[in-house]
Amino acid sequence: MTEAQISVQSLSKTYRVPVRAGGLKAALKSLARRTYNDVHAVQEINFTIQQGEMVGLIGPNGAGKTTTLKMLCGLLHPSAGQAHVAGFVPWERRPAYLRQISMVLGNKSQMLWDIPPLDSFRVIGEIYSVPPARLRQTLDELFDLLEMAELLTKPVRDLSLGERMKCELVAGLLHQPAIMFLDEPTLGLDVSMQLRLRRFLAEYNRRSGVTVLLTSHYMADVLALCPRVILIHHGKLLYDGELGSLAQKMAPFKLVRVTLEDGRPLTEDRGGIPAGAEVIEANGNHLTLRVARTAAPEITAKLLQSLPVVDLTVEDPPIEAVIDQVYQEGVQG
Amino acid sequence: MTNQQMGKSRKPFVVGASAPFSALKRILRTSVNLRGGWALIRGTWASWLQYRSFFFILAFGWMIPPLIYLLVWATAAGGRAIGGMTRGEFVAYYLALILVNQITYSQTNWTVGDLIRYGQMNRLLMRPLHPLFDALSSELAGKVVYLAFDLPVVIVLALILRPEMHLTPGNVLAFLPALLLAWALRFFWGYWLALLAFWATRADALLAVQDSLVFLLAGQVAPVALLPGLLHSAAVALPFRYMVGFPVEILTGQVDPVGLALGFAVQLGWLALALGLSALMWRQGVRRYSAVGG
Amino acid sequence: MRYLKLISLFARASVQEETAYRANFAIGLLYSLLNLGTGVLGIFVLFGQVESVQGWSFASTLALLGVYLSVGAVRSLFIGPSLEALAGMDGDVWSGRLDFVLLRPVDTQFLASFRKWRIFSLFDLALGLGTLGVAVSRLGQTLSAARIAGFVIALAAAVAILYAILLAFTALVFWSPGVLFTWVFDGVFQMARYPLGLYPGWLRLLLTWVIPVGIITTVPAGMLSGASSPGALAGMVGLAVVLVGAASLLFRFGTRRYASASS
Repeated sequence: MTEAQISVQSLSKTYRVPVRAGGLKAALKSLARRTYNDVHAVQEINFTIQQGEMVGLIGPNGAGKTTTLKMLCGLLHPSAGQAHVAGFVPWERRPAYLRQISMVLGNKSQMLWDIPPLDSFRVIGEIYSVPPARLRQTLDELFDLLEMAELLTKPVRDLSLGERMKCELVAGLLHQPAIMFLDEPTLGLDVSMQLRLRRFLAEYNRRSGVTVLLTSHYMADVLALCPRVILIHHGKLLYDGELGSLAQKMAPFKLVRVTLEDGRPLTEDRGGIPAGAEVIEANGNHLTLRVARTAAPEITAKLLQSLPVVDLTVEDPPIEAVIDQVYQEGVQG
Repeated sequence: MTNQQMGKSRKPFVVGASAPFSALKRILRTSVNLRGGWALIRGTWASWLQYRSFFFILAFGWMIPPLIYLLVWATAAGGRAIGGMTRGEFVAYYLALILVNQITYSQTNWTVGDLIRYGQMNRLLMRPLHPLFDALSSELAGKVVYLAFDLPVVIVLALILRPEMHLTPGNVLAFLPALLLAWALRFFWGYWLALLAFWATRADALLAVQDSLVFLLAGQVAPVALLPGLLHSAAVALPFRYMVGFPVEILTGQVDPVGLALGFAVQLGWLALALGLSALMWRQGVRRYSAVGG
Repeated sequence: MRYLKLISLFARASVQEETAYRANFAIGLLYSLLNLGTGVLGIFVLFGQVESVQGWSFASTLALLGVYLSVGAVRSLFIGPSLEALAGMDGDVWSGRLDFVLLRPVDTQFLASFRKWRIFSLFDLALGLGTLGVAVSRLGQTLSAARIAGFVIALAAAVAILYAILLAFTALVFWSPGVLFTWVFDGVFQMARYPLGLYPGWLRLLLTWVIPVGIITTVPAGMLSGASSPGALAGMVGLAVVLVGAASLLFRFGTRRYASASS
């Protein structure tokens, strides 16, 4: 195995936040002696990412995703721990490192507002010392992939949100970075634009071998792009692995869907439902039950005996539901 | 809010009456929502007080230019009189001018232009309250906050610089209406300029031009009486002196009865024009705004 | 070389941005003329009433105004727009767009100081230099090469001092975003319209030693009229070097603080 492109060891970030009580008296007191609270935004995180991987960094608001991302691209100093990205220590912010990475933010723009995108690209290209001929070629490729030739003569302020996001991507990729940090790239976009951007990112990753670390609140982004996810909650790493196995590991239950014989719906007293199974949906003769993962085989056997079952499936809960549960309750099991 | 309600509350401003004056009257009659207006003023005030330091800094900035001329003229006068004014009288004139300038300055007009430019007028148009009230309430709230900064500073300056002022009851009595009219004139003059933003983006440059003219002709660079020939005539005829200098001159006793009557007449005349233009701009502007769709 | 090329690109992009609003152009022209007019007329009115104030005549005060306008024009040419894009309301620090600036493989202070241009200010610069020319001719003195050289050096030092002060004020934004330090400075800088000698003693000290804006105009204008000694010039150059160094340091601390404190 080659050396990992991104490797993170015991990375932690603690913010010291001054405690402020309301009122004038407290304000005066805080002038003399401030008290601080330590906020542990990121605690002892470890992971490695290989070149060309697309990894989703997920977690609820305030989980520490953005802090992690900012440390990796060099905007934040960690309080403890180490990180190496493409052989560099990110927060030294060496020009050679900055040329290798790119950050695209869904809610912030690096374009110049009042001029056509092409002119912004030229300025950014010069900042990254991209030779003009190569810039031209890279831009042509990107415009082609993003189908955006017709946007280039309008000032950015006249573009739609989706068109602007395309421009942000071009601005972030025109120096052909090896690693890309994407923070909420599909924020506020309509469904079809989301689809197109995802398709672009997947295709670009396939062609160029760029490593992508993505955060998004749209699970669809992560599902479509990232075979691997890293789940952070309360600053701690909860899960690192295949997206498909996340449900198995995180959700301690399975869903059992049962179809009963016609004309024999479930009785009022719900007789025949074994202990340990919870009815979460009953619609005529279709039932959905939630059962503990370990008890699933036993309970399905009982169900087949006690009810007039014509069809029965056992499945993992949908990923959104699992994530929601983790976000709200933390990990279980 | 349903579409119908929205249409109803907007109607008085969109479909104005034939003459600009009656449009303004209609605005006042049909959409004055006094309780709403008062709540807005209170709300604005509360939020302004929260950012006190920010507004104190703004007030500091506005105070500097008159302060410079105070110091320059006081130094120039030294022990003699210039144009009939002694050092102490210059100090008194400029200290009064600092306060009057702050009271009549309407920073709100800048905001109005921005609202139109950035398409935030929609939000205001959807409220059952004329947007003029937003401007007026932040005006009022602003005055209180700015004066909370200016007054102590002026008092301290007065203790250091020893002004000479001979206040008479008559002067004070004439000063108050002149001040109110000066504020109204400066506000509405800026308001109609700001409303040009409906047609031209960045019309705010015109407001900067107005600030410049006020600086030159309203008695800041020098008391209007000291301006040479042509400049003096321009200052007396144009509206700018009546936004700042006129009330200050009244207070410091530089205006004779004839000048007083003439001054009030000119002031009222310009105010009437400013009101008319404001109403006209508003009516045409909103019509255009709703036609273009913001 | 690369940095010069970057500067020309920034300037070109800024021209494009500016010309996007054409109506503003004409009004900007008018505003510049008014600015000059109010400045000149202010002096004109003053010296219409008195011969000289504290040793400053109409011509030498006009020269000082020329310096004020020229230095101010250089400021609004690039220093002001660039630094204001950083600080100010909706500035990069406030909105978090500073991230992009910090992630560029180019020196942060360079980017922060040169990336926005207001080409229109070249017109202001022409007006300022024109005022200087008129003032010099009215001074009625023949200027030796040494004095002209001294004046040019003083002018350069004036720009450097102004830059340092503004950079330092901007760096304060890292500690307290949203406070309008530049607004405060604008107010104080206006005092440089008139010679230091016209202000009371305590203010003179303040404008020389605490916020040295008084020096910015008084020393160069004095080089022309003969009121400034070579010692004053040397002191000014020394001050410029120290201030630029100190401000750069402060700015670096600021960006580092941003990196360790922001979320």
